[in-house]
Amino acid sequence: MSEKNIIEINQISKNYERKIALSSLSFVVEKGELIALIGPSGAGKTTLLNLLASILEADSGELLVDGKPMSQFSDQKKRAKKIGIIRQQFDLVGQLPVIHNVLAGRLADWGFFKSLFNLFIPQERQEATTALKRVGLPDKLYERTSNLSGGEQQRVALARLLMQKPEIILADEPVASLDPARADDVLDMLTKLAKEEHQTVIASLHSVDYARKYFTRLIALKNGKLFFDLPADQVTDKQLEELYQLKELS
Amino acid sequence: MLSFDLHKRKFLTVFLLLLFAWSLMGVNWQEGVMHSSGISTAGEIFAAMFTPDLSMDILLLAAESSWLTLAYATAGMSLALILALIFGILASGVLSSGKRSRTLMKGSFRGVLGFMRAIHELVWAWLFVASFGLSPYAAIFALAIPYGGILGRIFADMINDVPEEPIKALRATGASRLQCLFYGYLPSVKNSMISYTMYRYECAVRSSAIMSFVGLGGLGYQIQLSLDDLHYDEVWTFLYFLIILVVIIDGWSNMLRRRMAQ
Repeated sequence: MSEKNIIEINQISKNYERKIALSSLSFVVEKGELIALIGPSGAGKTTLLNLLASILEADSGELLVDGKPMSQFSDQKKRAKKIGIIRQQFDLVGQLPVIHNVLAGRLADWGFFKSLFNLFIPQERQEATTALKRVGLPDKLYERTSNLSGGEQQRVALARLLMQKPEIILADEPVASLDPARADDVLDMLTKLAKEEHQTVIASLHSVDYARKYFTRLIALKNGKLFFDLPADQVTDKQLEELYQLKELS
Repeated sequence: MLSFDLHKRKFLTVFLLLLFAWSLMGVNWQEGVMHSSGISTAGEIFAAMFTPDLSMDILLLAAESSWLTLAYATAGMSLALILALIFGILASGVLSSGKRSRTLMKGSFRGVLGFMRAIHELVWAWLFVASFGLSPYAAIFALAIPYGGILGRIFADMINDVPEEPIKALRATGASRLQCLFYGYLPSVKNSMISYTMYRYECAVRSSAIMSFVGLGGLGYQIQLSLDDLHYDEVWTFLYFLIILVVIIDGWSNMLRRRMAQ
């Protein structure tokens, strides 16, 4: 793995009023890694993802994306080319047909008039069709998005990411509201597509099983601190037990 | 806390009932409630309900007046819709980026909308008739301004109630505020906007009929003329035409809603 580091996190801290969300966290992410963030609720997973998405700002420490500080990505359109986000469902505009939700991934590149015109005559249909084919929904182009099931909606969100083509994908509990079969399906697709596109994925997950199954590296957070950071196949059951333990062993 | 509030509400109810009872004592029941021949006139009017004048020339006149009333309402409503879209979107504040500019925008455009609808369409009609004379423009503007104010206010509220997640996701794909408006906010509220506009259109037809009392022609004007001539049977012909208009628009709006639900 001699490729350069795409994300560098250095002694980063974030507090909410009195409560510590993250305290001097440091790690480095290489290009193309598939990382799962695990840890009990309130460990700081979402805070970390929001920092990376520049929805929040760190109190102290350094966050470099592609060697540049986050402040260089303050332009929404520029940042969208670097970082894409997928969350639980409810991320799509239900009243729009599927194709427009997919094509929304291109809004960063389109001017206002092109995007307005697109609502009447869809542009780049070929690419949208290809993206939907890759996520396994080739015949749902003009279906109203809200008529799709939860799993299908997450696939549409994946197709949107395919159109957006960010270098980094941040996934905040991407399968939290899906049943196990759909969850498997969506995670499989997310990691497979990311590998094909040479994208880096950082996903927060509740389920350790999914994390081990689909991701190459596990970063465990507990009380805002790094608990362990290991390749997926080196994590032991004992470590996981300690991670989710309610009280610290003294 | 809640039980205390409920308690207070009961006190208020009792207080208001007492106030109403007291106000009844202020009425002079001997004279003034109805003029002497009031009851017989009312009887005549309601008897005519079953015998509307269906002669050819009255029917033609009613049809023509209905057309005029509908035309005013439609033109006024179209203009109101344009005003409402522009001011409503601005008043929702979704186009401004900073927190302070958003508050400023919301405040000022909501103020404009408030001004527009604070004055009733009849009053606007008086003002416009006084300035333009009895022209159709007076009727159209008189309808468009308050209805634009009402629609705009509701549109702004609808846009503000759109769930945040899809919008945030759009922002994350790099969409600008304007792109978010067309890909997130407007598609989300389109259906409610259409059905509310149809409901208001129905109201506009009624208003347009009333407004013609000012002398602008249309159903209301004919009703007034017939009332002055004590031709109650004609009055009912015109009223039935008004009812038919409202029912037709209601049917149309139901049809639209059913199609949108699919």
